[in-house]
Amino acid sequence: MKRERRQKIIFFVVGLVIFIIFLFPLYWMLVTALKTQVEIFEVPTPLWPRNLTLEAFQKQLSASSDTLRGFKNSLIISVGAMLIATVLSIPAAYGLARFRFKMKKAFILTFLITQMLPSTLVLTSLYIAFSGMQLLNNYFAPILADATIGLPFSVIILRSYFVSIPKELDEAAEIDGCGPLNSFFRIMLPIARPGVVVAAVFSFVYAWGDLIYGLTFMTDPTMRPITSSIYNYVQQYQTLWNSTMAFGIIAIFPVILIFIFMQKYIVSGLTNGAIKA
Amino acid sequence: MKKKTKKLRSGTYLGFAFTLPALVYMVIFIGIPIIQNILLSFKNVNVYTFADASQQKFIGFQNYAELFGAPDSILTKSIGNTLIFTVASIFFQFIIGFALALLFNKKFPGCNFFRGAIMVSWLLPVTVAGLLFKFIFARSGGIANQMLMALHFISQPLEWLLHPDSAMVAIVIANIWIGIPFNMMLILTGLTTVPEDIYESANLDGASWFQKLFYITIPMIKPAIISVLTLGFVYTFKVFDLVWVMTKGGPVNSTELVSTYAYRLSFEQFLFSKGAAAANVLFAILLCVGIFYLKTINSDEEM
Repeated sequence: MKRERRQKIIFFVVGLVIFIIFLFPLYWMLVTALKTQVEIFEVPTPLWPRNLTLEAFQKQLSASSDTLRGFKNSLIISVGAMLIATVLSIPAAYGLARFRFKMKKAFILTFLITQMLPSTLVLTSLYIAFSGMQLLNNYFAPILADATIGLPFSVIILRSYFVSIPKELDEAAEIDGCGPLNSFFRIMLPIARPGVVVAAVFSFVYAWGDLIYGLTFMTDPTMRPITSSIYNYVQQYQTLWNSTMAFGIIAIFPVILIFIFMQKYIVSGLTNGAIKA
Repeated sequence: MKKKTKKLRSGTYLGFAFTLPALVYMVIFIGIPIIQNILLSFKNVNVYTFADASQQKFIGFQNYAELFGAPDSILTKSIGNTLIFTVASIFFQFIIGFALALLFNKKFPGCNFFRGAIMVSWLLPVTVAGLLFKFIFARSGGIANQMLMALHFISQPLEWLLHPDSAMVAIVIANIWIGIPFNMMLILTGLTTVPEDIYESANLDGASWFQKLFYITIPMIKPAIISVLTLGFVYTFKVFDLVWVMTKGGPVNSTELVSTYAYRLSFEQFLFSKGAAAANVLFAILLCVGIFYLKTINSDEEM
């Protein structure tokens, strides 16, 4: 008994140390954003700001900065991509989970394969196509491209949700005179709601994190998503680290919120999407 | 009438119809661009011929030949760099992720909280993580130099991102940080499938910790290990953002990956066909690994 308790304390201490080391980079980002430039370049640099200042945040949040505009652009792009990916993936996952048809296996493999493709592979062709359609510097270009990241992932995790719903439920619905469409909307969809949330969250996070599509399709600075505006900001102000880190914190803010409030969904999505496939 | 509904339900059309919209979407925005990319790689599209289709013609394998055949071929170098980057990243991510999974598979106070918090690095936009590590490895103001100097490992601050070898080390470290949660979670999921009583009977036989690890745990979670290694390989091999943000492939191509090189060819030098060829090389490598992965998961799961 005593030995077990001691072991638990050791595990706790080890866990705590790992936690501190692992999250140190994030702590460092926050602390740097709250420091003055002078303190950042001091040797040794203080681990906690002596002159705590919100100046960097104020600068980033002022009306004239790119930050809020980038935030808004990212929000539009990510929500758009999330909607496309989720709306298309729900019926596809249902079809692949509940029906037997020719080519089904090939379809599942297609979604699995597309998940592994690099963006660079389609980037040049999409750029040429979008530029021909006058879609560069238009929200639709990154929305349409970002949805291709979330869509296959969503199909795969939602399919595993639908597969896990007992078949007896469909049969009961059929006996009660429910057609397939009706049972999809009335019975399957409500039960699979946690899966839909996971799919939507991941599609949003993927689109929010995208750099390459935003950077390539949005050349007009006012249309850039936040990832490419922060990238351009750093190119311009190489060593203004407190401002850059404040910018970074604003850029990760929605992701952190999702992380705090939807962690259980994220864990299930990560494991289901990768292993069960 | 009755028969017809029955046929629809288990039959071909409805399932196909449900799946079709998503499939059409992927064909339009992934399938066709891939084919166009392959065609593009056999043409001579660059900044001069981009707007004028009459100037574009098929030139066979010339782009590939020029990319591979050039003296000091950057493509060959970038394939080597990508391999080094991938293998080094996965080696450490996997070992650290495995160790963390073993720890967090135990029950102890704070276990769920710590495990959850560690997940955050995987979710962050890679661009921000890249900038964060660019700052950590900065010559002046960077905390990496200060720590190493305080520990007397180095006497002078290093220009981490401006020397070929140390730049590679820096991007690998950043990528390890991003990838650990993925490895940890997948292995942890595998560990929960191992029944407790196997360990109990091993304990009765007096098996040591290492024996249990190598003769029970690892063989039991082999599918999870294969998944995490092959998927990790695919995801790492195509990394773009992190390297583009931290080093842009420099200094002197020492951290140039196939993905960054393809991007540079297309969108900095506007050699679209050459960029497409480089991207296809990346595609071919990933496809091989991807098919291997699908074969392995296919064999133990019915669809």
